[in-house]
Amino acid sequence: MNPAGPDGADEVILSLEDVSRIYGEEVQVRALDGVSMEIRAGEFVSIVGPSGSGKSTMLGLLGILDLPTHGVIRVRGVDAAELSDAERSRLRGDAIGFVFQQFHLIPHLTALGNVETALLYRGLSSRQRRGRAMEALEQVGLGARHDHRPVQLSGGEQQRVAIARAITTQPGVVLADEPTGALDSRNAENVLEIFHDLQTPDRAICIVTHDLHVADSARRKISMLDGRIVSDEQLVRS
Amino acid sequence: MRRVREVIGVAVSGLTSRKVRTLLIMLGPVLGVAAIVAAIGINESSKGHLKAKLQELGTDLIVVNASAGFGFGQDPVIEAAAVGRVRRLPDVVAVTGTRQMSDIVTVPFAGAEDYYRAFPVPVIATGLDLPSTLEVPLVSGRFLNGFDESSGARVAVIGRDLADEYGYLRGESRTIELNGLQYGVVGVLDYVLLEPSMDSAVFLTFTAAMEDWGLDDPDPSRLYVRAPVNTRLVAQEIPTVVSLGGPDGANASVPTDLLDAQSQVDESLNNLTKMMGGLALIVGGVGIANVMSISVIQRSSEIGIRRALGHSRSTIAIQFLFEALVVGVLGGIVGAGVGAGVVWGVAEQRGYTMVLSVVGLAGWALVSVGVAVVAGLYPSTKAARLEPLETLRLG
Repeated sequence: MNPAGPDGADEVILSLEDVSRIYGEEVQVRALDGVSMEIRAGEFVSIVGPSGSGKSTMLGLLGILDLPTHGVIRVRGVDAAELSDAERSRLRGDAIGFVFQQFHLIPHLTALGNVETALLYRGLSSRQRRGRAMEALEQVGLGARHDHRPVQLSGGEQQRVAIARAITTQPGVVLADEPTGALDSRNAENVLEIFHDLQTPDRAICIVTHDLHVADSARRKISMLDGRIVSDEQLVRS
Repeated sequence: MRRVREVIGVAVSGLTSRKVRTLLIMLGPVLGVAAIVAAIGINESSKGHLKAKLQELGTDLIVVNASAGFGFGQDPVIEAAAVGRVRRLPDVVAVTGTRQMSDIVTVPFAGAEDYYRAFPVPVIATGLDLPSTLEVPLVSGRFLNGFDESSGARVAVIGRDLADEYGYLRGESRTIELNGLQYGVVGVLDYVLLEPSMDSAVFLTFTAAMEDWGLDDPDPSRLYVRAPVNTRLVAQEIPTVVSLGGPDGANASVPTDLLDAQSQVDESLNNLTKMMGGLALIVGGVGIANVMSISVIQRSSEIGIRRALGHSRSTIAIQFLFEALVVGVLGGIVGAGVGAGVVWGVAEQRGYTMVLSVVGLAGWALVSVGVAVVAGLYPSTKAARLEPLETLRLG
């Protein structure tokens, strides 16, 4: 599934080439302004910046939930703008996992059902789906609570279910939008730890946050301001 | 195939998670289909009942009533000689004249005077061929015969309801009192479907009527004519044959034509009910579109997350369309069942034979599916067009 290059760990999973995103027609808002960057397999990236700096726009574009006004987004080398909606959706489902601040679990499904949702329409039997979803839940330490509905889980547990849902498809990159924003500090620490555990040589993690503690735990920190990247630095972890 | 199963699974879980709402939106198609199925079924059953009745009565009986001529103060009558003239008409196989007598109080048993004075029993002077003309058999005994007529004997035949009230036992020799005169009961006539009043009547000969009750002539006021072929043509000729240009008028009618007309009236009522059922279905469809549109807004976050997980716009649209489809299928089946139940209940209550076309049931259930799918088009398109970024509220 993963067409890794000769040097797997260095494969470029996502790339933005001179990307701009302009909202509105009469009054134009330039949310992203000529940004170029790459995310490679095995990286742990944080994107920081104040409100309105363009980090959410960037996340939407990285996840090809949105398309740029100018510039090119490539996912595993494929220009997202040239795909049909169905092809782009499949590419998104295969290559990218999402974790959101508000968890966005489907309330009437169990933890297992929520994780399974990511595996629908992929030609898997229900037994295969269940098996893989269960595996992912066990990876985040929630195997025992697989039959609980979201309302029966704590915030931290819900976010772990969301993480299981993001990784069960074996994506090349997990995009997380303020994943610790709705959690208390203990749960936040726990979730952050899980992210670090999930990082493997062929999977990248990209966290959008304004929490400097979270940002500094990454290996690479991209700082944004007014729709531009102002710094892109490799951090040395203590 | 696996994909279809997955879509159905998602649709069903979406519906079962909101049971009350699902039941409410299902109510539209259920009521629509039930109304249509019940309307058609009841009408078909009652028409079947009428047809069976027509079959039983035969469509070849003509009833001729005397109409007022120039005689003053007299009940209109048909002169006795006219009976022979009608009998000689081609295609006529049987004719019987009757005349209902007035002011006779019948007392079947002692002590019942007051009741039968308040609700008098019809006393009918009749020709001897009444059972064969009406094609009604006798339950017991015999009908009035030539000897009864020539001798003017005080004998009577009674209708079946009267016999029941009377407590008449088969073969029992009993009498019935008419204004104090005792008449011997010689037979009981079976139910006369076309003339239910005959079921509680007392029949006597014209001779007895003249001797005991002061009838001047054996002139009937009504003729029953059986004409198996050219029934309507014969009915048209009869008034002329009866009056021969004289003052005695007569109206001839074929009573089963009325039943026919009745089934025609039911047809227009049927169409009206069908239209109302159709309207209910359309309103049900609007309800589905309405509730599902609200549901799409409420579930926008679910739609957003599904899009983020790689479900395409068309998959989302199909998922919502399938929810509508499931509502339509279940609504159609339940509606057809409810409608069939109503038809059964009505048929049971009115003594009809239940007539219901299985193809019709399936057809109307399919219409419900069609309405639901059409109604689901708008909300599912709306769901597919939602922008995931707007519904996911990134931080």
